[in-house]
Amino acid sequence: MIAPLVAAEGVGRVFGQRGLFSGRRPVAAVAEVSLTVGRGEAVGLVGESGSGKSTIGRILLGLLPPSEGRVLFDGIDLTRIRGAALRRLRRRMQLVFQDPYVSLDPHRRVGAQIADGLTIHGLAAGAAATARAAAFLEEVGLQPEHAKRYPHQFSGGQRQRIGIARALATGPDFLVADEPVSALDVSAQAQILALLADLRRRRGLAMLFISHDLPAVRHLCSRVVVLYLGRVMEEGSTEAVLTSPRHPYTAALLASAPSLDPARRRRSAPLRGEPPSPAKPPTGCVFRTRCRHALPMCEQARPPLRETGTPGHRAACIRDGSDAGGA
Amino acid sequence: MRRFPWLAAMAVCVIALTAVLAPVLLLASPVRIDIAHRLGGASAAHPLGRDELGRDELSRLIWGARSSLTVAFGASLLAGVIGIGFGVLGGFFRGVVELLTVRTMDIVLCFPPLLLALLVVTVLGPGIGTLIPVLALLFLPGFTRVAYAGVLATRALDYVEAVRVLGVHPTRIMLRTILPNIGGPLFVQFSLAVAAGVILESGLSFLGLGVVPPTPSWGLMIGAARATMTQDPALLLWPCLALSGTVLSINALCDGLGERADPHGVVRWRRSGLLGALLPGLAPPAGAVLALADLTVAIETPSGTIHPVREVSLSVGAGETLALVGESGSGKTLTGLALLGVLPDAARVTTGAAWLEGREILRLDPAARRTLTGSRLAMIFQDPTSSLNPLHRVGAQIVEAIRAHQRIGRRAACIRALSLLRKVGIADPEQRLDAFPHELSGGMRQRVMIAIAIANEPRLIVADEPTTALDVTIQAQILDLLATLQRTSGLAMIFITHSLPVVAEIAERVAVMYAGEIVEEGAVAEVFAEPRHPYTSALLASAPDEGGSPPRPIPGTIPQPHALPKGCAFTPRCPRVLAACEATHPPLLAIAAGHRSRCIRATEA
Amino acid sequence: MLWLARRIGISICLVWIVASIVFLAIRLIPGNPAELLLSQGGVAPDPRAVTELKRELGLDRPLWTQYWASMDDLLHGNLGNSLEDGTPVMSEVLFRLPRTLELIFAAGLFAALVGVPAGTLAANRQGGLFDRFAGWLAGLALAVPVFVTGTLLILLFAVNLQWMPAGGYVPFLQNPLQHLVLLAMPALTIGAGLAAAVFRMTRSAVLDVARRDHVRAARAKGLSPFRVLRRHVLRNAMLPVVTVFGLQLGALLGGTVLVEYVFNWPGLSSLLVEAVNARDYTEVQGIVLVISVLFVALNLLIDLIYAALDPRVRLQ
Repeated sequence: MIAPLVAAEGVGRVFGQRGLFSGRRPVAAVAEVSLTVGRGEAVGLVGESGSGKSTIGRILLGLLPPSEGRVLFDGIDLTRIRGAALRRLRRRMQLVFQDPYVSLDPHRRVGAQIADGLTIHGLAAGAAATARAAAFLEEVGLQPEHAKRYPHQFSGGQRQRIGIARALATGPDFLVADEPVSALDVSAQAQILALLADLRRRRGLAMLFISHDLPAVRHLCSRVVVLYLGRVMEEGSTEAVLTSPRHPYTAALLASAPSLDPARRRRSAPLRGEPPSPAKPPTGCVFRTRCRHALPMCEQARPPLRETGTPGHRAACIRDGSDAGGA
Repeated sequence: MRRFPWLAAMAVCVIALTAVLAPVLLLASPVRIDIAHRLGGASAAHPLGRDELGRDELSRLIWGARSSLTVAFGASLLAGVIGIGFGVLGGFFRGVVELLTVRTMDIVLCFPPLLLALLVVTVLGPGIGTLIPVLALLFLPGFTRVAYAGVLATRALDYVEAVRVLGVHPTRIMLRTILPNIGGPLFVQFSLAVAAGVILESGLSFLGLGVVPPTPSWGLMIGAARATMTQDPALLLWPCLALSGTVLSINALCDGLGERADPHGVVRWRRSGLLGALLPGLAPPAGAVLALADLTVAIETPSGTIHPVREVSLSVGAGETLALVGESGSGKTLTGLALLGVLPDAARVTTGAAWLEGREILRLDPAARRTLTGSRLAMIFQDPTSSLNPLHRVGAQIVEAIRAHQRIGRRAACIRALSLLRKVGIADPEQRLDAFPHELSGGMRQRVMIAIAIANEPRLIVADEPTTALDVTIQAQILDLLATLQRTSGLAMIFITHSLPVVAEIAERVAVMYAGEIVEEGAVAEVFAEPRHPYTSALLASAPDEGGSPPRPIPGTIPQPHALPKGCAFTPRCPRVLAACEATHPPLLAIAAGHRSRCIRATEA
Repeated sequence: MLWLARRIGISICLVWIVASIVFLAIRLIPGNPAELLLSQGGVAPDPRAVTELKRELGLDRPLWTQYWASMDDLLHGNLGNSLEDGTPVMSEVLFRLPRTLELIFAAGLFAALVGVPAGTLAANRQGGLFDRFAGWLAGLALAVPVFVTGTLLILLFAVNLQWMPAGGYVPFLQNPLQHLVLLAMPALTIGAGLAAAVFRMTRSAVLDVARRDHVRAARAKGLSPFRVLRRHVLRNAMLPVVTVFGLQLGALLGGTVLVEYVFNWPGLSSLLVEAVNARDYTEVQGIVLVISVLFVALNLLIDLIYAALDPRVRLQ
């Protein structure tokens, strides 16, 4: 088996530990998460607010150290390297931000911001860098002349394209896209999703696509990981997870998403109640407080991720799972 | 637009220049005493007369400027350099560094400035040599705080993180990205410090504890002139004028530079009565709870008047949900706000009519309109966090809505509020009644907003993207709640959204808006199955779909309101455009019963 | 509640730090304080007298011992004795403190009663005549230093028009009317700058809050404009205004020093100036300490008022 490009092993992250006067209890935003992204593969990381998906994205990029576990990038342990070595490795992994209105420096021309990646890592300088920056702009669907403009002169969708161009400049092998379309209009969303799919095919990029929207993941990602309260509930190929989910939470997520077909209206909301506070997660299975199928046993211990029959498709539920897709 | 404060800047430059050039200007000596001519009047050699010791007043004024400005600038510069260093280091490295740099400044802030200055002067004696360091110490916390806050704010911005992701060295990040962003507030702080320095120095000199005579200082001059106030008031007035004028100029410069460009422009609080009389023959369709005819909203912008809502007509019946769908800039939210009468002050309704249960509401006087707003006609807003007042308890805000329209006592209103909370699905409502908005989750806040909207049993609710800010599982709960409330009370709803799947989920009829106009309207099943406008088709195709086909993007972008295309607004992006489309502006025409479209090719196969 | 205890705890710490700094400052005087005191005539003092004075002031003991003795004294309310006339500093301070407090509160009251309504009105009619005039007046009030205002007021009202005496003091119980008349000008002098700052902040806060979503939602409830203004605009706008009072406290207390001097108002701050001029170190130390403690206490009060107004603060 080919080693994956990015591998997180048992990663956890706790916030709010230090500080004598903080008086706040530590919060485990992420716990026991393992996932892999192969070369050229697009993996979707799906969860609602408080699921810890953004935290995982940043841990995978080495921007945030995990409190436990480790992250391997092309075999290199990110938790063990620092300083200049880590900065050099950055060239190969990049981030696309959620809000296109604050992810670009308002005081600098967009061409210069794209060229930054080239000059920092010594890939090009001066006029060569400017030319290549303009080429990147073209690749994402803008005009080379736009390099001389400032961010405020572009629309939200265009700014997001610039953000993607900036991420491509260093020639990365791995791209983390943190909810890249959530802040955009519907028509711009479709454009950016198409762009990302296209880039992945052309450049063989590995991608982690973070989103709260399951349907959006369908066309871009071959595999998907579903998170709830910082833990993996289910993972597998997009096809398998979306057509026959094995975890009640995934089923509820899918059923909650409104459908374009008016004939397929739900009769009632699939999931009741509020998500629990990350500071006080329920004992045993963290989803049991809202699960329609909860058993007394669910309170005892955290269910491990186990195979469901289809290879690569795993769910963290002690039940059989075959009826999870139902009402 | 920000206007550069030319007048203030020139005044400051003139004053500063005069002070700097004092030694080379041909002035009389400021220190030569001439008792024989004390309190002498104005003359050719002494344009402003002489002071109580016979010295030339004008010369003393100018040399006094020199003292004050030297102290003020020197102290501000010193404080600025050290303070910015402290603040930036503390903000960037946090931890122990922050403790040493920023937190220690809090100790300096424990002393009122003049007091600390007096203490130090007691210890070290007066004079410029003492004044500059002590004033620098006083200004240090201000600079440190501004730099620190600026660094923290900039650090949190995505584009700084983006630079970090690129692999840039921390120092380079600091210099390149953060410093230019905090330049503005720091400059303002510098001007404030200089002004404060001038005031503090003159105050201390006034008390005899600042600049040491014979060096002239405005403070000293004012102090001395007090004794001869009755005999020669002018002697007192000149230094007062010079001092006040200098501080005023610096303050004006500071204000002028620090003023943010106000994107809203001058807000004019509207007077009503701008709508013309109702045209005869315009009447609402029978049986409609709400009917809108040709609603047009105008907004004044620096680049001219724009019309973000143009001739919108629609109607909603009892128990029915009409979805108003469009992207940002389509005018859907403004339409809803116009109905409720809560448009922003820069916008106003220019033409059109709206009937609520047969009664025209846009031409009512404000008091009459208010009896309907929040009772017969209610609104649910998009962001429940910002739409609830963070300082009042949730219960109080519901009770307020109830008592605005029902004559009941507070206790009765509280009981009603409790039942409303139960109705919107909030468990343990007694506790929630006393909670503040920030103590509730997003979903619960939206339920509270719904409770406020249904408090007075409205006939129509306008819901402006009520689930956009919520998680998808909570969104399902809220949509469910709205549908249930509608079924049990028969109220009509206008549901504003940008999401087509949500429209399919909740509405019977849909009106699609583009660039301020309705482009298609009809029953949801019909419109979604067979859209009759290219924009509707394109929107449907661009939504992610369970069918399996990938979302197809719409080329181009939404037109700006000041640059609308001639003819049909969608022509630049339309795949089925004809020459006729650009020529005339197409009207909204019925193409089947209850189905209208603005496309001239709507009836084609 | 935890928050409150922490806040008070911090204030007590600060008071202790302030006391220590004041103690050190006096001890850091270059030269020998005892010598400097006795040599005021310009004549070198008798060495025996110097040693005697040093022993009396306790300056011959090690610094550490002096420090603990001072702190101990402080806890018992003993601020030492004046070097000039030997009277206990504490009794002088207690006698004069209420008069300074009176000035501060009168100025604060004036600023609130004038600044807040004016700021609200200016915001309501933004760009109008009142807005521009008041803005200009506020700019002037902020630019003219407090002692200039005071001196000019005396020139106008006392010397030229002769409506009021040029300063002085009469105890309230002796002659209430005259007391208030004499209070008016000094309070107005300090209050003018504060009122200008309050005016500006109120205006900008009202403009800012009026545009917020919750105000629009309140209007959508059908509430009367007055109610919207009172409960949803002003109530929220008061937060930054309270902060402004806190920020101006330092200027306020410093202002009392100058104003008491100009108007001969026998408060604590004018005593300070006399003490500084007389090089009465013990007195200076005591007064600076008391005023600083007052400053810390007033800051704490403002923080408490802010927390009472804004429930979100009490979380931290």
